[in-house]
Amino acid sequence: MKKVVDVCTRVEGHGNINILIQKDEISSVSFDLDIFRGFENILHGKKLIDAPRIASRICGLCHASQGIASCKAIENIYEIEPTTQSISLRRLLMIGELIKSHAMHFFFQSFPDLFVALKKHSNSLSFDELIRYDPLLTSNVFELIKISNEIVTLFGGRSIHLITPIIGGVQYSPSKKDISVAKKYFQKAITNLDWVIERFHDLFSKEKPPDIYNLNDPVYMGMQNNEEYDRYDGFLRLKQKDKILADFPVHKYQQFFTKQIELRGVDFHLNKDQKVIVGPLARFNIIKDFEMDEISSYLSYFDGEWKKNLIYSNLVRLVEMLLASYEGLSILENRNLIGKNQIKPIKSIKNNEGIGIVEAPRGTLIHHYTLDENNLIGKAKLIIATEINLPIINDILTRESRKLYEWTGDINQIKNQAQMIIRMFDPCISCATH
Amino acid sequence: MKPKLLITSLTSCSGCLSTLISLDIFPQFLERVNLVYCPFMVDAHNISNNEVALVEGCVINEDQISILKEVRKKSKKLFALGTCAAFGGINSLSDKIQARALSKYVEIDGIIPGCPPPIKILGNCILKLLDSKTYTLPEKNLCSNCELRGNLVKKFTKTITKILPDNFKDFDIENSKCFLENGILCLGPITRQGCDCKCINLGIPCEGCMGPVNNDYTSNVINFLSMINLTSDLKKYKGIFYRFSKPYVRGDKY
Repeated sequence: MKKVVDVCTRVEGHGNINILIQKDEISSVSFDLDIFRGFENILHGKKLIDAPRIASRICGLCHASQGIASCKAIENIYEIEPTTQSISLRRLLMIGELIKSHAMHFFFQSFPDLFVALKKHSNSLSFDELIRYDPLLTSNVFELIKISNEIVTLFGGRSIHLITPIIGGVQYSPSKKDISVAKKYFQKAITNLDWVIERFHDLFSKEKPPDIYNLNDPVYMGMQNNEEYDRYDGFLRLKQKDKILADFPVHKYQQFFTKQIELRGVDFHLNKDQKVIVGPLARFNIIKDFEMDEISSYLSYFDGEWKKNLIYSNLVRLVEMLLASYEGLSILENRNLIGKNQIKPIKSIKNNEGIGIVEAPRGTLIHHYTLDENNLIGKAKLIIATEINLPIINDILTRESRKLYEWTGDINQIKNQAQMIIRMFDPCISCATH
Repeated sequence: MKPKLLITSLTSCSGCLSTLISLDIFPQFLERVNLVYCPFMVDAHNISNNEVALVEGCVINEDQISILKEVRKKSKKLFALGTCAAFGGINSLSDKIQARALSKYVEIDGIIPGCPPPIKILGNCILKLLDSKTYTLPEKNLCSNCELRGNLVKKFTKTITKILPDNFKDFDIENSKCFLENGILCLGPITRQGCDCKCINLGIPCEGCMGPVNNDYTSNVINFLSMINLTSDLKKYKGIFYRFSKPYVRGDKY
């Protein structure tokens, strides 16, 4: 047995590609994360009010989602429900976070690879080549990063590891000026995204996405709220092809999947060949259609071949940023956002455990806390999108590496291909190595 | 010749990197440097010679010690970016891993503290570094520009019972008292300023993410403890004072 290890580049965090070769055949290729930070251990013994700001530190890209999922889990323990004003603010924070995270992934990670995958360039463009190749796209995307950062800072107190989301609500009362500033930001984001999506279309829609990235009818999992796209509140849905396998509230998640603490990976109670994928592509697949014409028309640019392919997730990320910007604008139109915000006071503990869920930029995120005898956190279970995606990532890595090895026998080509497949999934290694 | 820059992460959340990328000046900054190594943004596999290295994240294992030593060897200047690299950071709360600051293993040329580093400080530091100038950090504690400070208090009389207020309704920066005088723990007295008291201005006491003004965490904490009275519950509670740094104990693995 021979083992070849390659370090992943242009991903968030440290990951390795492990290639196992036996008798001149690839036996497996896997995406491995060898760091373990132990946030489940860190949260153990902590006071409930202390948990969200620690949990936020799990990830510098999905910090708002981590902090808010933690708040929701604890609000579940106290049975308190934040005001609609607070919930709107949380949504705004998650929108800002999503735009920033997707924009960074698009520019630094996936866009350079699309030239190799679709246009058959021999190498992916480095970012200085990219800046020269498409300066307008570069400035549009950097503006998106900047705008989303400003929105998060405005309502969250700072750009990452936010101060304002606390148990019981959001410790911030927006002024009229904040609202008008944020509106301008979202309007600008919409202009930029329209441009970027059109550019994406011009560059790539005539190309045929290669079979390497075929997903082979995975099980999509995501949150929906009365058949509508929602990342803050709703039921989880499992869907394969056109068939809804299950709709369930998050407190029943253990009937569908389980996770053992400190053993990375999530076990789904499905057939062995049914692989689950979460993230933007899943969120868009579990919903039948979008009422907004802008969204449907952008999605209709691409044919059925695209929609089965992981490469399509790059377009979906762009469209999701647009959807989020429109959602942001509509939240800002709501009059209840202005005025003194009330934080719901913490009273007595009602439940011995609490579960909080949000859709983080990369997919479903669940925090599940159980109390100990001193009402401190006894057990913390964190279910993270990238962990859920690991089996399908490894499946595709192994499948495609075997093919390529048969044709070429070239380990370097396999490494390059594996790197690109992993980047297309947009893994968040910080989160996954929590 | 553009200066060669290296940016890398050890055990981190990538938050410092994300703060750096979202700085106003970042696009111009990229044009002025030759980014020779940065796993987040470029494909380069090898750590190469460079003028300035920014390293985020703490050290938790042997592999990272050797990466760090290699970076040190190849870099003219090496800076610890963020509180994890500067002091150990949030992973100090773990009792399963030992999170250590870079300076435990290599000589560093400076720190850019904060979780996340405040935008003004980070922007100022990297601009100075590009021009091969040295930067300075604020040398005072958070209380020195805190609006809640009022008259300088030398001794806090009220017993500290909480780590966060349980009522946010009455908070108003102009009319509220110092948290410590209200029995709520605030680490402002032993924390470096530079963050513009963002948390405090929103009604949340300081958790100390900027680290101490001088580098000795433990002596700062001991001094502070002699000034305040903590309830026994809080004395037992793990993770207030060593949230962002843990003292080295003999027998620790790394």
